[in-house]
Amino acid sequence: MRRLFTGLTAVTLLVTATACGSSDGSGSPDGSASSGGTTTVKVGIIPIVDVAPLYLGQQKGFFSERGLKLSLTLAQGGAAIVPGVVSGQFQFGFSNVTSLMIAQSNNVPVKAVVNGIASTGVAGKDFSAITVKKDSPIKSAKDLEGKKVAVNTLKNINETSVRESVRKAGGDPDKVTFVELAFDQMPAALDSGQIDAAQVVEPALATVKSQGGTEIAWPMVDVAPNCTVAMYFTSTQYAEKNPELVKKFQEATAESLAYADAHPDEARQIVTTYTKIPADVLAKVTLPKWPAEADRASIEALLKLGESDGLFKQTPDLDKLLP
Amino acid sequence: MRGTNAVLGATGLAVFLALGEAVPRLGLVKEAYFPPVARIAGALGDELSDDTFWTALGDTLTGWALGLAVAVSAGIVIGVLVSVVPYLREATASTIEFLRPIPSVALIPLAVLLYGSELRSVLLLVVYASFWQVLVQVLYGIQDLDPVADETARSYGLGGWARVRYVLWPTALPYVMTGVRLAAAVALILTVTAELVIGAPGLGARIAIAQNSQAVPEMYALIVVTGLLGLVINVGARTVERRALAWHQSVRGEVTV
Repeated sequence: MRRLFTGLTAVTLLVTATACGSSDGSGSPDGSASSGGTTTVKVGIIPIVDVAPLYLGQQKGFFSERGLKLSLTLAQGGAAIVPGVVSGQFQFGFSNVTSLMIAQSNNVPVKAVVNGIASTGVAGKDFSAITVKKDSPIKSAKDLEGKKVAVNTLKNINETSVRESVRKAGGDPDKVTFVELAFDQMPAALDSGQIDAAQVVEPALATVKSQGGTEIAWPMVDVAPNCTVAMYFTSTQYAEKNPELVKKFQEATAESLAYADAHPDEARQIVTTYTKIPADVLAKVTLPKWPAEADRASIEALLKLGESDGLFKQTPDLDKLLP
Repeated sequence: MRGTNAVLGATGLAVFLALGEAVPRLGLVKEAYFPPVARIAGALGDELSDDTFWTALGDTLTGWALGLAVAVSAGIVIGVLVSVVPYLREATASTIEFLRPIPSVALIPLAVLLYGSELRSVLLLVVYASFWQVLVQVLYGIQDLDPVADETARSYGLGGWARVRYVLWPTALPYVMTGVRLAAAVALILTVTAELVIGAPGLGARIAIAQNSQAVPEMYALIVVTGLLGLVINVGARTVERRALAWHQSVRGEVTV
């Protein structure tokens, strides 16, 4: 028994040792510093349109002129990013605001540092929408009562915002059946009638529209005008130890966001470098807004919705969470 | 005989490809979600001319090879130790049976927490999954040891190491090779799974990006690549097995007495 345990430990050690050879020790902020006064920071991101400003800012030199070098690491969704940031694998990460509030209410030490994306605030022209199949009898969010609606993650930003859309349209969100489905599978599921409606974001939204699907509501617009949807964050330990670096990342990202917002064509162009969105789809994609500052009022609105939908164990402390 | 087999194999593949082309074209499934073979082949051609594809392939193969190497060495060493040391087999049996069925995929959160989305996470999952394949085969192989052969070796005065080398190892080798072949396939599955779910660089991550990007033909093209990779690995593992066991009757063919 003890022998086996020793053996297993040896296996684990072997794994670690093998892996150490191929990657320079990241994790510790000191270990990530490199020559010439530039510091490499690892940022955990999702390969979607939303993070285009980071790629653009990197290309334009907004980070290098502040002595930062970005190592953008693609991860599949926040489920991999939050633990990665908290354990120090990534110095920064990209996550939606509700997830950050849920993390904080569970005592996960996260700290938002700079804005990520915001809704366009325009009904009919947002990057996220509730869609139904062509010729569906569902005409408004109120009609979703008793229907099956797909969201990408239950008990998170998309479910609360869809519930708000139903509420605002005069319906009872408790009568809606929510099912969890990945965004990329929604167009097919909607088309084949497995679900009655889907809350999709770009680029799946463009696919749904190209199939003749119609948008019936824009949840982020219903939550708040100019709703802040996602932000870049770090761990509280990292923020306390490296206030200078965090400040530099904040400034460089804010500059990148402003640049991307002002140059949508360049943003669209850079998306092709890290995703595989086909050119004809990308041309139809509605870009989000990239304001340099997060909109606190909208985050408070999301917090209230999250509370009424029972997402939080304890009320998140926005003064501590937000920059 | 061999020629007939090759013709049959090629015919089977051709029918399969023709079906893949016909089913979407006839509208049995939507072309948007299941593109015809020709379009997948086109996307595959684009992939092959893309440098980043080859980097991804290299990442996947690195994860696979490192993981397999660690799992096989650890499996053999631990397997022999457990079998040779008295009472150890009995003492560890239940623990092994408990640990073995734990799906490697269930360790993903642990891997991410420990190593983030890099090679080490992939290795953790790959090694965990393929280690048991090898270990269990080694244990069975050594159990198969012919007591007469062992006693004979003893009476000829062979020492402990010599008995492991000349009696135990040749007996276990066919089992070990089976274990290695199974582990090679499992290691590939887990490498791609880990990349797909965690996002560690490699073919899996590339599939996930194509999927997120609504690039359906590219996604299938990459899936085809993983299939081909599995095929190559299986053929390779069989070749190694045949070479290593050239003396064994299962490979040599039955000798009529």
